[in-house]
Amino acid sequence: MAGFLKVLFHNVLDGPSTDPFPLGETFTPQRFRGKVVVDPDICMGCGICRHVCAAGAISISPRPDQSGYDFTVWHNSCCLCAQCRHYCPVGAITLTNDWHNAHPQEEKYNWVERKFVPYVPCADCGTPMRPLPLSIARRIYLNNPDINVERIITLCPKCRQVEDARTHSSCAWPAAAKPGKTAGEGAPAKADATAGDAAPKE
Amino acid sequence: MNSLLKKLSVRSPWLFRINAGSCNGCDVELATTACIPRYDVERLGCRYCGSPRHADVVLITGPLTARVKDRVLKVWEEIPNPKVTVAVGICPISGGVFREGYSIEGPLDKYIPIDVNVPGCPPRPQSILEGVVLARKIWLQRLGVEE
Ligand code: SF4
Ligand code: SF4
Ligand code: SF4
Repeated sequence: MAGFLKVLFHNVLDGPSTDPFPLGETFTPQRFRGKVVVDPDICMGCGICRHVCAAGAISISPRPDQSGYDFTVWHNSCCLCAQCRHYCPVGAITLTNDWHNAHPQEEKYNWVERKFVPYVPCADCGTPMRPLPLSIARRIYLNNPDINVERIITLCPKCRQVEDARTHSSCAWPAAAKPGKTAGEGAPAKADATAGDAAPKE
Repeated sequence: MNSLLKKLSVRSPWLFRINAGSCNGCDVELATTACIPRYDVERLGCRYCGSPRHADVVLITGPLTARVKDRVLKVWEEIPNPKVTVAVGICPISGGVFREGYSIEGPLDKYIPIDVNVPGCPPRPQSILEGVVLARKIWLQRLGVEE
């Protein structure tokens, strides 16, 4: 009885608990998982998000003229699982708390997040490629202070190998046949393999 | 005179719900939207009805499985025109996570003209309310009451 009175008392005091939406504003939690957005400045086109996407909502299609790729997320297929956000190595893709999703049928196939991500030419050979963000490259090469990170991220995978052979390898490079640094040898090769994933796949 | 009559004779749109093989996630959200006072769809003059012949707005959930396909189409045919069809959840819209499954006949708009899509897996009740508001607007347009 006392419990019932307490509830009644609260109801009288606090008024109706109906959410005013759609006639007024509603409450959206900060961490609510809504529409997916991608940051074209950071995305490096590795395709991990597309690989893990449970609903096949992500498409990454390189343009035929090699100027870049179109990154598309179809909200009508996205199941808001946030796997893409979890697995993206650079944090380029995330979910906003925008849940305003109802739309008429005419807009069905335009209900997308679409971003163009441009390639930049390799500093040495000019091959179009997608650079690693500097912060990520710094993390990858953390244990290799002898590697010039600012330079390495401007190079395509092939030129990076050449650069590595030129500066680190014990094998004789025609111009400078200096004695190899045995200590630094294994690690840079491994780091390069990781970074190589970042390059656009033709 | 005619338009005045039309205006006066507008009822509230009644909702009907078809489960086309949904995982029940969207149905729970639909029930939440209608049955608990917090979201209270009846403020918009809408209420669920038990028979497709009384319905004006039909909310369909689920990816249209092979098993329910014919029944869904049959029930949908029973709803009198002008009806407004709302696809709730990514399942009926695109097949969602079940797309290209062996038992999936959808997406729904291969068989039924859809008017409003409410994606989400499941969409939150407010999002469904938004869809119902949109559907109501389209319904009134079809009746010639609103432009
Ligand atoms: S949230 Fe899930 S379904 Fe949506 S794009 Fe990301 S991985 Fe795909
Ligand atoms: S960098 Fe992130 S957003 Fe870009 S393709 Fe890779 S996983 Fe997807
Ligand atoms: S959209 Fe998601 S929650 Fe709704 S029926 Fe399909 S799988 Fe279930």
